[in-house]
Amino acid sequence: MDGCSFVVPRGTISGLIGPNGSGKTTTFNLLTGLLEPDGGQVIYNGENLAGLKPYQIFRRGITRTFQVTRIFREMTVLENMLSVTGLDVPERVARERAEELIAFVNLGHLRSEYGGRLSYGQQKLLEFVRALMTDPDLILLDEPAAGVNRTLLGHLLDHMHRLQEQGKTIVIVEHDMNVIMNHCERIFVMDYGVKIAEGPPAEIQRDERVVEAYFGRRRA
Amino acid sequence: MERSDVRSLYLLAAFLICAYALPFLIGLSYGTVRADERWLGYLATVVLSGILQGGVYAMFAVGLTLIFGVMRIINAAHGEMVMMGAYLTWVCFFWLGLDPLLSLVLTLPIAFLFGLAVQKLLLDAVVGQPELTALLVTFGLGLTMIYVAELIFTTDFRTIPYAPGTVQLSPTIAVGQNKVISFGMAVAISAGVYLFLKLSRLGKAIRATALNAEVAMVCGINVRRIYLITSGLGVALAVAGGALVSIQFGFNPETGVVYTLQAFAIIILGGRGHYVGALIGGLMLAVLESLVSLMVPNGTAMVELAAYGLMIFVLLIRPGGLMGVKEA
Amino acid sequence: MTPREHLRNLALLGAAGIVLALTPYTLSVYLRTFAMFTMMYVVLALSWNIISGFTGYTSFGHVAFYGIGAYACAILVTDYRWHWLPTLGAGAVLAAVVAIGIGYPVLRLKGPYFAIAMLGAAEGTRVVATVWDSLTHGGLGISLPSGENSIPTYYAMLALMLVTIAVCYVVGHSRFGIRLNAIREDEVAAEALGINATLYKLAAFTLSAVFPAAAGGIQAYKVLYIDPPAVFFVQITIAMALMSMLGGKGTIIGPIVGAVMLYTAQELTWVNFPTAHLIAYGLFIVLVARFMPRGLVGLAIDRGWVRKGMIH
Repeated sequence: MDGCSFVVPRGTISGLIGPNGSGKTTTFNLLTGLLEPDGGQVIYNGENLAGLKPYQIFRRGITRTFQVTRIFREMTVLENMLSVTGLDVPERVARERAEELIAFVNLGHLRSEYGGRLSYGQQKLLEFVRALMTDPDLILLDEPAAGVNRTLLGHLLDHMHRLQEQGKTIVIVEHDMNVIMNHCERIFVMDYGVKIAEGPPAEIQRDERVVEAYFGRRRA
Repeated sequence: MERSDVRSLYLLAAFLICAYALPFLIGLSYGTVRADERWLGYLATVVLSGILQGGVYAMFAVGLTLIFGVMRIINAAHGEMVMMGAYLTWVCFFWLGLDPLLSLVLTLPIAFLFGLAVQKLLLDAVVGQPELTALLVTFGLGLTMIYVAELIFTTDFRTIPYAPGTVQLSPTIAVGQNKVISFGMAVAISAGVYLFLKLSRLGKAIRATALNAEVAMVCGINVRRIYLITSGLGVALAVAGGALVSIQFGFNPETGVVYTLQAFAIIILGGRGHYVGALIGGLMLAVLESLVSLMVPNGTAMVELAAYGLMIFVLLIRPGGLMGVKEA
Repeated sequence: MTPREHLRNLALLGAAGIVLALTPYTLSVYLRTFAMFTMMYVVLALSWNIISGFTGYTSFGHVAFYGIGAYACAILVTDYRWHWLPTLGAGAVLAAVVAIGIGYPVLRLKGPYFAIAMLGAAEGTRVVATVWDSLTHGGLGISLPSGENSIPTYYAMLALMLVTIAVCYVVGHSRFGIRLNAIREDEVAAEALGINATLYKLAAFTLSAVFPAAAGGIQAYKVLYIDPPAVFFVQITIAMALMSMLGGKGTIIGPIVGAVMLYTAQELTWVNFPTAHLIAYGLFIVLVARFMPRGLVGLAIDRGWVRKGMIH
């Protein structure tokens, strides 16, 4: 990444798109502390988060999911949920919240099954609700639609909007243009590590640079 | 290389310089260092001895680095395979009347087959699993080998009287003939294997698998077969090392244990899977050990500490070793 | 686990404790020693399991802590005339300090490198014990003042075992334990979920060091003579690992079962087949590691006899 600058408004759903290798996941990694930036700042709630460790960033209310699900395979669904820290609540309360979230995505009957035995779609759901255990304010979703069927995707997107209504801020990295164009208020486009465009869906669809980035320069 | 990569290399180099200086400093404070010509002669002899010894150490280590590099398996029985080499050579010498170097013709194929067998029966199933499994399996194998050796040969120390003369390089510098021959053989074998890995198709396939087994598989390399061959090669190299050891030192079934750890220290210093790294690491460790045994009081016990200390500090500063990338 | 199940387990533990507490006077010295060793291995296997089974950092040098505890007891009793019981605490504290000191740098290493580094650390400790003879009497070893120690050490070991089981039980069923498991499963993801991996790993490592140290101290007082090779014996680490693996790494009942089974098997073969037993031991290690890496409890879980996971 090279000299990128984003401002994400609170309480919106934003999309981050770009061709493969443009640096979208790298951006997420930088924001969540998995990578350390060589320069620049990450300002959240007035604080610069650059250089903090992932667990510190998490405790400030930022959470994320991964492109390839990283659930804990040899632990049960319930344990996956309870592993999340920063709760500082008694176990009973944490358990209630976990059960609530598990039930919400209809994984209740699988609560004692190993994470690794779940189907891919179920794992995605698990990762999604696991990230919500601490009621975070900023949620970064890395390709939530990948490999997920339409119905499931519908549920996920519904829940996403509900979260936004509660005042959360959401940023999605996606390749599925339907999802991005129909659900995001604002879209950021990256290519080769720089931001090449920014704006509401309608503008982005017409933007020539975006088309070029995805499809190559038009031969005159 | 990235910035932090380069930084850690400099740090490692600085540490190594300190490590080599340390015996001198300790020696100065304890009075074991003298500045006269005679003592300097000792020093030169010891360093030279160390270099020659390093050739043999390198032999143990390259086998291990190949196995570790290609299969990510820690062979905790590597020292026992060296020990097996020493005993095989001893058997050839005393029961068959074969010159130890000549007996390599017999012992190396046996070693290769043994490696194939071990891989086929034990390690194939263990390659993908967490490292503990391989560690335990090979450790158990090593234990079994020690006890079998004790059963057959008892715990007595054995030696092979061979080339007992000394080579006098100057009035004060002399090294044993057997050491020089060992070193020569070690160089020849290492060079041969190096050329094999670098130039032959099979060698390249091995290197490819070491870098990335999945990609190698997709490119049509029969990875299972490569594992078998690497295992055979690794054990053969260990056995060759054992043969060279047998003409220099006494050995008994338990001597392999120390060699295993030394071999690990060497491959960590040199870089996992890096052939040349193992050679360099072997030389460096041997020289360091020689310096320590000469100048540090309680030298013989401290030599072991030198190996462990070196290994741990390399792991902390730059786990990839000299030739690897920072993190390995 | 429901509170009822916890109570049931507690009752079982208590019952076992009472049975074991009543037996020493009825047993021959040989059996008493056998029971004591078995209990010791339960302690060792459970402790090893905390860092290696739960947290996934396979330590191949845990015998170092055992040795530190043994030496602490021996030195304090012989050279400083302490009563032996407080030396156990001293040994445990010393082991904890060493664990933090070694652990902080070494826990940064991954998988096989951590295992090798710990092996080096253990062997290094042995060499230090041999060389620092002003403190440790070096290769000569230390002879403790004699006395009839069989019964007191038995009870000490029993108490230690009960405490270790209790602590492991609590850890295993708490969110602390779950987080250790998370670190094992995917350290990066665990960090991203707010787990301060460095802190948790260090805590687990330190916890896993104190019980072996106490066990080492008790052993030293029982055997009345220690020297570096006896105490920093790499076979002890192997035994810890093998027992945990045989029973089931990462569970609580696993290391207990593994320790009892393996030690009993070892004793039986040693008594009946003195020469072959060592080879059998080596082969046994190979077979278990090759064919049963998930251990007995792992098999039981697969068959459905035991529930999955620790928290239900």
